[in-house]
Amino acid sequence: MKKVVWVFALIILVFLGDRVGGWVCEKLTENSQFRYSRIYNGNLEAELLFVGNSRGLMFYQPHVEETAGLSTLNISYNGMPIDLANVIIQDHFEKNVLPKTMLIDVTMCDRQNQSLISGFSPYRAYSERLGQLIKQNAPKSYYGGGLSHLFLYNNEIFQRALYYLNKSDEDWLIDREMNQNLVDLIKAEKEYIITTNDYLLNSLTELVQTAKNHEIDVKLVVNPYYPPFAAKITNLEDFINQVEDRTSLKVYDYSMAYNNVKGFGDYQHLNKFGSIEYLNILIEDGILPSKQKKLSSLPN
Amino acid sequence: MIFNSLAFFVFIALFFPIYFALKGRNRLWLCLAGSYFFYGWWDWRFLSLIITSTLVDYYVGLSLDNTDEKPKRKQLLIASIIVNLGFLAFFKYFNFFTDSFALLAGSMGWDPGWNTLNIILPVGISFYTFQSMSYTIDVYNKKIPVESSFLRFATYISFFPQLVAGPIVRAREFLPQFQADKNFEWNRLISGSGQVLWGFFKKVAIADSLAPFVDQCFMAPEGFSGIHLTIGVIFYSFQIYCDFSGYSDIAIGLARIMGFDFPDNFRTPYFSKDFSEFWKRWHITLSSWLQDYLYIPLGGNRNGTFMTYRNLMLTMLLGGLWHGASWVFVFWGFLHGSYLVIQRLFGNKFGILLNYLHLPKTLQIGINIFLVYIFTCLAWIFFRSPDFETAVHVITGIANFQTFTVASIVNKFLVLKGFLLIGLLLTIEIADFNFDLNTILIKNPVFRVVSFAAIIWLIALFGTFDSNAFIYFQF
Repeated sequence: MKKVVWVFALIILVFLGDRVGGWVCEKLTENSQFRYSRIYNGNLEAELLFVGNSRGLMFYQPHVEETAGLSTLNISYNGMPIDLANVIIQDHFEKNVLPKTMLIDVTMCDRQNQSLISGFSPYRAYSERLGQLIKQNAPKSYYGGGLSHLFLYNNEIFQRALYYLNKSDEDWLIDREMNQNLVDLIKAEKEYIITTNDYLLNSLTELVQTAKNHEIDVKLVVNPYYPPFAAKITNLEDFINQVEDRTSLKVYDYSMAYNNVKGFGDYQHLNKFGSIEYLNILIEDGILPSKQKKLSSLPN
Repeated sequence: MIFNSLAFFVFIALFFPIYFALKGRNRLWLCLAGSYFFYGWWDWRFLSLIITSTLVDYYVGLSLDNTDEKPKRKQLLIASIIVNLGFLAFFKYFNFFTDSFALLAGSMGWDPGWNTLNIILPVGISFYTFQSMSYTIDVYNKKIPVESSFLRFATYISFFPQLVAGPIVRAREFLPQFQADKNFEWNRLISGSGQVLWGFFKKVAIADSLAPFVDQCFMAPEGFSGIHLTIGVIFYSFQIYCDFSGYSDIAIGLARIMGFDFPDNFRTPYFSKDFSEFWKRWHITLSSWLQDYLYIPLGGNRNGTFMTYRNLMLTMLLGGLWHGASWVFVFWGFLHGSYLVIQRLFGNKFGILLNYLHLPKTLQIGINIFLVYIFTCLAWIFFRSPDFETAVHVITGIANFQTFTVASIVNKFLVLKGFLLIGLLLTIEIADFNFDLNTILIKNPVFRVVSFAAIIWLIALFGTFDSNAFIYFQF
């Protein structure tokens, strides 16, 4: 009998610990300065909204804020797929002050990413829409999160939320330079194809339409690649045409616009140095506002 | 069927209640049927190999018992070895040998013109083959009595907890345990469950969390900095340890719940102070098998210094080859053989040097542990690399100290999580070493409940639940 009591004690302790632990993790996530925590906490004000996957991180917020004198929010994340971005941005529009301009790096339409979608479980309690997306893409993870609340926080998103508990995430950008090996190896790289599909392009179209309905100015760009790598992307033009057809918006192609090897962290990502130089090009071209050129005077 | 799958949890939930409800032969039949089902879940066709090995060694054992004629006994032993190693040679090494021969012939200007066969490697063949062979060799050497019951013998060969990845349990340790029925024991359930849980933590939380970082490093090492690759190698050393020792823990724990005692397979190997000690702490059941059935029959250390070194090297080379049909595994064995030889040659002198420097004893031990770990990691680079070219890229990448900057690490969060989990593992292992946690687990119910719950929470918070196969399944 005594032994059975210990078994019950274990079950109760596991359950209680899981719930208490889950609650603590929830509070930590809420109090974080991480971009998604700020979005779901509400009342966030950002005039410029940047969207992308890891390549979208090159929209380096501190530089834009300093140069343009506007508040910014970058919701980019490594491997972020457009369907997830669409859901988060719709939540953002509902919970926060609407931005005036949204800049999207359209190369994020190149993949679906079920594991990252399931990684956003810490925020599912704040959004029915996000919960549904997780349920569709990662049902095991969705139901697992119902069983164990700690399991909801078994992901990198929560770890980042912890990391940004008491610090801003606006400075998040790679700071390394490509090593010589990588520079040399570009010759051996085979052709690179941007793969997309109807589902992803529809998500982008829906996002653009939602923004337009809110009278938000949307700009689509292709951020820079290391030029010898960009030359190996054989279907970039087709991809841009598809995006333009679907969204009825022009895509500003900056894939080859920057060529200083020191500004790249790898073939697909600019480092901090490169990002600042690239953002200056965007400002010069009027894609981004400067203190002199305010948003209203930018080209459509 | 793998331990970290839903299918296994369903299997075990059905198996255990029936197991303890049955007695005697019925229980053994259940064990045998359950074990064949467990193995057949992966590919039922390869059950024929286990059954053939079992039949051959069972009848060879009976025949050895019926004759004292030396030549006939030898013939029987050779027949058993040919069948067992024949299966192993065909399924595991056929393409390796033919490819290597073709390469050699090609270097001499002759193209044999044959193609490789599409052979599937039966899971666990190296493990059950060694287990089966040890029985026949021991019966031949009259170290153990023959097993007259086919049911007991077949259950011994196919016992599901350790069938596919060990530990390699000798007949002399295991068969006597079948003699009496094992009643359900509360203490065994506690101790076994603790070990199973700990094994799961090591596998799904540590090994599988480290795996993506390691895979990335060894897939294209040219693109990563020295510090990134160094972390990749450290992570691999813990990935393979947690993956394999995790499997062993689960196997040993399950067997303990069922009433069987298996030998330890790992004893905190990365705390070894020399390489002999490392092999007494790493994959213990394989190294003791190789010692008893290869190193000692070759002459061991009985025939002078040169022969001792030769025997050490041969044993480690074959130990390397046992792991996989590739020259990188052979080279891994060669490195470990060299370490053992060099240690025998210069080990004492190194000890004298440390003493001469008047370093405190703990620092001397620390230096030894560190050096053994570094050289073990060097060998792991070859073990993990798909080919020598990759291994060389990893080593030259690490040797480029200019790229040792924190900024050059890709995916720092995975690194942070990895080191956190490794730290947790080492802390618990040191605590276990100093306080014998298993004994406290049995004696102190509060400690037991809290520690079990803590492991479950850690698994929920850090576990990877993609049913990743265990690394040693491929061996």
